Amino acid sequence: MARKTAIKVANLTHTVTSNTGDLTILKGINMEILESESVAIVGSSGSGKSTLLGLLAGLDVNTSGDIHLYDEHFSSQTEETRALIRGQYVGFVFQSFHLLPSLQAIENVMLPAELKGDKQARQKAEVLLEKVGLSHRLTHYPNQLSGGEQQRVAIARAFASNPKILFADEPTGNLDEENGKLIVELLFDLNRSQGTTLVMVTHDNGLAKMCDRQLVMSSGQLTEQSL
Amino acid sequence: MSFTFRLMLRDIRSGDLLTLLLALVISVGTVTSIGLFIDRLQLSFEQESANLLAADRLVRSDDAIDTSWIEQASKQDLQFAERTSFTTMMFANNALQLSQLSAVTDDYPLKGAYLVDEALFGTGQAFTGTPEPGTVWVSSRLASLLNITLGDAVEVGDVTLTVSKFLVRDPGSTTSSFAISPRAVMNMADLAATNVIIPGSRVRYSLLLAGDRENLTQYEEWLLPQLQEGQRWRTPTQKGDRIGDTIGRAESFLLLAGTLAVVMSGVAMALASARFVKRHLMQVAILKTLGATPALLGKVFLQQLVALFIVGALVGLGTGWLIQEAIASLLSSLMSTALPAPSVSSLWLGTATGLISMLVFCLPLMSHLIKISPLSVLQPNAKIEFNGVVIYIIGFIGMYALMCLYTKGFLLPSIMTIAIAGIALLVASIGWIAFKLGRSLTSGATSGWQIGLASLYRRLVPNLFQLLVFTLIIMLTLILVGVKSSLIADWQQQLPEDAPNHYLFNVQANQIESINEKTQALGVEQSDWFPMVRGRVVVANDVTIESMYPDGRGEPELYDRELNLTWSDSIGEGNELVEGDFSAEGLSVEQRAATEAGLEMGDVLTLNIGGNRVTLPITSIRKVDWGSMQPNFYLILPKSVLEDYPANFVSSWYVSDSNAQNFYQTMANFPTVSILNVGDVLEQVQTIIGQLSKAIQLVLLCILSAGALVLLASVRSTLEERLEEGALLRVLGARGALVRQALLVEFGALGFFAGLIAAVGAEACLYGLQVFVFKAEANFHPLLWLLGPGIGVMVITTIGLVASRTVLKVPPMLLLRDLS
Repeated sequence: MARKTAIKVANLTHTVTSNTGDLTILKGINMEILESESVAIVGSSGSGKSTLLGLLAGLDVNTSGDIHLYDEHFSSQTEETRALIRGQYVGFVFQSFHLLPSLQAIENVMLPAELKGDKQARQKAEVLLEKVGLSHRLTHYPNQLSGGEQQRVAIARAFASNPKILFADEPTGNLDEENGKLIVELLFDLNRSQGTTLVMVTHDNGLAKMCDRQLVMSSGQLTEQSL
Repeated sequence: MSFTFRLMLRDIRSGDLLTLLLALVISVGTVTSIGLFIDRLQLSFEQESANLLAADRLVRSDDAIDTSWIEQASKQDLQFAERTSFTTMMFANNALQLSQLSAVTDDYPLKGAYLVDEALFGTGQAFTGTPEPGTVWVSSRLASLLNITLGDAVEVGDVTLTVSKFLVRDPGSTTSSFAISPRAVMNMADLAATNVIIPGSRVRYSLLLAGDRENLTQYEEWLLPQLQEGQRWRTPTQKGDRIGDTIGRAESFLLLAGTLAVVMSGVAMALASARFVKRHLMQVAILKTLGATPALLGKVFLQQLVALFIVGALVGLGTGWLIQEAIASLLSSLMSTALPAPSVSSLWLGTATGLISMLVFCLPLMSHLIKISPLSVLQPNAKIEFNGVVIYIIGFIGMYALMCLYTKGFLLPSIMTIAIAGIALLVASIGWIAFKLGRSLTSGATSGWQIGLASLYRRLVPNLFQLLVFTLIIMLTLILVGVKSSLIADWQQQLPEDAPNHYLFNVQANQIESINEKTQALGVEQSDWFPMVRGRVVVANDVTIESMYPDGRGEPELYDRELNLTWSDSIGEGNELVEGDFSAEGLSVEQRAATEAGLEMGDVLTLNIGGNRVTLPITSIRKVDWGSMQPNFYLILPKSVLEDYPANFVSSWYVSDSNAQNFYQTMANFPTVSILNVGDVLEQVQTIIGQLSKAIQLVLLCILSAGALVLLASVRSTLEERLEEGALLRVLGARGALVRQALLVEFGALGFFAGLIAAVGAEACLYGLQVFVFKAEANFHPLLWLLGPGIGVMVITTIGLVASRTVLKVPPMLLLRDLS
């Protein structure tokens, strides 16, 4: 059976206004990512890869073109609806972890389920934290955890809402090699076991190669190539 | 438990919500405590002054008191008593004397007490109660004029009464003007039988009322529309009388203090809200990436604010109540009477302050918070797009509205708002120039001085804002200190220890020398004598007063009664020439009376003096200090006009307590001379002033503590950046001393400039307050110019260094990790 299209992008252009005038960051991007596929977006700094990730995840509104997440037409929705779609389809892992400093590890992981009103949030979070090897750190605050541990909590949080698509922005960027490796293994394991589509922005060619496909951003344009 | 409350509990644990809650509690607590305290003081003044009126309220009428008024008083649950005063002949031992007689009901006086004595010309003891039916109390002067003593019979109309006491003071008459006839008081039960009141008699009927303030207010609202000509409603403190003015000024001060507390509370709320929003920016962006919709977030924050308000307001009200109880109990040992309990209805003020503060400071910031783009999580340096101007304008309007609500007027809030706006401009320009100059004078980062000065310029906008907050708090403090000092100094100056406490009047020219001799022998210091001739203004600028005010309504005091006129070669003590020439052959008019009657220099008045008409132009206008306790006059005429009329003389004397008995006995030799003892009134004023001064100092202390808390909050709000910089410097190998020096320079400079600009602002504000609010003369306050920068440097540097001590104690690694 043919796999469904998870993300479909057509003629995506994005322009921002800066002090020096309008700046076009993305220029007519077309792409399609299939369900359960893992895709790496690579490119030099300032090439527009983070902007693309933000638009794909509905964190910002594109200037022109269309983005579809499954059957949802992202680019024409209000922030209210986009948030609902994110809650339904999307999970995130960030370079700087972005755990809420005022919440314990378990509470951070519970958040996505709680937002959906899930009464089993705590039990699910416990299971996920156990999967990432942090069952002994449930009630620790982010500043009491190491970088690697924080990123593992972030991954547990990302999978807490059973996302169909996981966006990862430089997930190993702030970690040492050993921790980075651990995180990557965890990410791909969970990705496979849950059948999640993975879209990852990275500088790390080794990491990019682990994905099914690699897309290269250069001066706001996208080319597909094998590394 | 809902998501909102779970999130809120977690926020409370982290301390962010607690900071906001603390600001709200300080805000509500300060305003509540001051509001309640002022309310209690007002009640207390009212009660003290009520002793002078013999009641909380009084209705005076030329006709008998309407029975419906009494019925209504009874319905309104008010205590009441009646007094009927009239002038009548009293007979005894074949002598007769025109007397001022009062008939009172058994409950009279409702407040205060009679001063009576068993000995002739005694100084008197307080006595609660009234003359029994069949008896009369007579003043010593009346007794000596009629040659009677205790137990003797006196006839009043068809009734014979027995003298049972000598009357020294009637509690309801101390503030009344000179009564020519000697006084006596009898029981109301005997009045009808005397048959002395017949149609056409000049009688003054009074209904005295006492009771709960709200009931009194309701009664007042019911009665006032029914009052006719010749009927007056009186409260214990009236504008224009000495106690009323003193209390009025104190109330203005307390109101000002309260208003400043409101402003400080606003600043505290704004700071705490800004900190809360800043610390929640990333949290909201993350929640959005996790699928939280703006609507959900809006609901969450709104619910949090509502819960915060309920808890903050309740705790604030409770704290406020406790603080004012503490102030009151501190003050109780200093006060002569116990403070009455505060009224619960004053609690609304604190609640309203909290609510408005949240609406204008928290809500706009929160609404911006939920607008943050979730994209911020990918762009950590992205800043929230604030429409700062709108937020400041909303805050400013809110603050103004709060002050108006608090003061129930626009003048004080307007002065304060203009001053604050001016200060903001001054801070922006002076701060910008000073910080830039500091930066350009130093380059490199080898000493604490250079790092400190460079920091000031690098964080220009936050530092300017902080400078503004510091300046405002110091300025408000200086204003209070300035107003307090000049107010208290003014009061003390107004009432010297030896202010005259007795008036002698009804004195004939041939008695003056003899009185002077006898009193000099007693060691009582001699005073000036003023001749007094009665006269009435009948025509002003060719228009008769009768035609100007046909029904007497709105008639100025200068026209509506017979006046005491005098002549004098020199402008007397307590008088100041405002316009014209005092020695000219014309009228000298008191400024306030002239203004009320719309008279100016050159206007011509015709007076009826003993049946003769005298027409004179106004040749001078005088300002009179009515507090000087000297005999003062609305109109002073040229000697040439008055000297041929028969005159009585009046004079004011200071008689010490130890001399009083001898003085009275000496004056018994002059039975026709009237003595008015105003010592009780003066004592009352001095007591009130003493209490007020102490109360004001306590309120000041309370506000200063709130100010210090706000300063601390302000330093804390920018602490993270400073800590981060300090930690980095230490990582780079800087010694603790260098970091400390840099912080010292930064906070010291902020404190110095804040204090300096605050002194400028305070001086300007004090000018406005003294001239427009306190109606006093403006003066320069050199002390403020020392205090301002002094307080600024010391307090802010201390608070800054104490708040930043972690940077010097905690390992830099831990600090950096915490901050990230």
